[in-house]
Amino acid sequence: MKDESSGSSSANGRLKRSFAYRFISALSRIRRRRRPSSFYRGSRRIKRAADASMAYAVGSRRAWSRAILRRLRVTRPGSGRYPSTVMIKNQKKKKKKVPIILKPCESRAEKLRSLIPGGESMDLCSLLDETAHYIRCLSTQVQVMQNIADRLCS
Amino acid sequence: MDPSSLIHESSFPASNTSTSAYNLAEIWQFPIDSGAVTDSAPILGIQPAARRATYPQALPFADAPLPNNRDVSVEESTVTEHSGRSGGRKRRDSASEDESSKLVSTSSGNDMQDYNGKRLKVGGSKDENGELKADVEASSGNGNKPTEQCAPPEPPKQDYIHVRARRGQATDSHSLAERARREKISERMKILQDLVPGCNKVIGKALVLDEIINYIQSLQRQVEFLSMKLEAVNSRMNPSIEGFPTKDFGMQTFDASAMAFGSQAPREYGQGSQPEWLHMQLPNLSSYEYDYTSVLGGTFSALTNAYAALALTNAYGALALTNAYGALALTNAYGALTLLNLWCFTPRHLWCFGAI
Repeated sequence: MKDESSGSSSANGRLKRSFAYRFISALSRIRRRRRPSSFYRGSRRIKRAADASMAYAVGSRRAWSRAILRRLRVTRPGSGRYPSTVMIKNQKKKKKKVPIILKPCESRAEKLRSLIPGGESMDLCSLLDETAHYIRCLSTQVQVMQNIADRLCS
Repeated sequence: MDPSSLIHESSFPASNTSTSAYNLAEIWQFPIDSGAVTDSAPILGIQPAARRATYPQALPFADAPLPNNRDVSVEESTVTEHSGRSGGRKRRDSASEDESSKLVSTSSGNDMQDYNGKRLKVGGSKDENGELKADVEASSGNGNKPTEQCAPPEPPKQDYIHVRARRGQATDSHSLAERARREKISERMKILQDLVPGCNKVIGKALVLDEIINYIQSLQRQVEFLSMKLEAVNSRMNPSIEGFPTKDFGMQTFDASAMAFGSQAPREYGQGSQPEWLHMQLPNLSSYEYDYTSVLGGTFSALTNAYAALALTNAYGALALTNAYGALALTNAYGALTLLNLWCFTPRHLWCFGAI
């Protein structure tokens, strides 16, 4: 147990460092090629950068990070109409969906599925597994971003 | 007990008792001696071979429709075994214990045993024994094979088939898989409960899931908010002074590891209790800032503690943190005065100059 905990903490540290490095370089890149854009678009770009750097830091081991990377690849700003077609597909799917009455627990699982990237196609077991990892990474992300913001503000 | 066993001994061929009876008896140890032995024993004695032939087919449905048949045949086998060797019962017990201990060592087998035990206590002792039998067979199937191959007669083979039938029963494997799945889910739920703060007290899967969902949503919202904040801060940085290369940037201005592990310095500034609040951030600042501080050192030393605290907490903290737009507007308004080219602490000093 001790070994495991120490290993996980060191892995967490590596993740933190890698994420911080990626995110900071992304921030600097964003700043350098700044275009006149609205505040919200800029914030969305930074959020995107944060997600991407988190996903890259995690790598392709996890389903959720793979999903984020796939989404990024599909909705890359330079890459034409992909997002719109994806949107259309999704809308079609939604229209076809028949409302199913679920158990409360099931509906919650569905909600969780919608929250976790790439969770739509998972079974409950792996969904919970991914959720645990995702929560860990999200809290790391929040921590690091908080630190960076503090540092930049001060 | 004794007379019936004697009868069976006499009615059976010797080879049967040595091999097949061992297998069956190994499985059905407990239940046998209870009820119908004495009544049904003579009937059995008349047609043992026919019973054996019908037994395997009957067994899958044996729980409900043919309880008598099964009991009887079981008794028969154990009884013969009992009479064959005097010390056989004990030996068998020890063997089955070994096997059960083996089962305990493997997780799935253990689960199944527990599960079956729970479910079948309602049903009665017969079924419990049946489940035990299935477990034992699952683990000891390989061990029994060679003896059966050595023994020529049919009955042992049929026993083996019956074992297979029992083992390959669809419901059993499904229930086993289901059991394993549920175990996994509950285990992961436990991990998640440990992970999510304030989730340990919550009882019930649905509520735990609610907590988890709320926590994830709050984290995602936090990320969004922080990205807005960073956008505000980031846009405040003048791109013209960002000439220095990314390496420097990464190394000096943003000490990545220091940020990752969160030095407490920035938060302490807000309290304004340190006179050396400027020097505290020196090690992590870029060379620009360092020059700047050396140039304007006199001015800063003239600032009192209270002044710095006011600047930090009131002006910058309140405005930038609560209203990112406000901070943006502030920096824009003072853009003309940003000759100092220092994003890091120009605005707030300008602000405090303006405030006083």
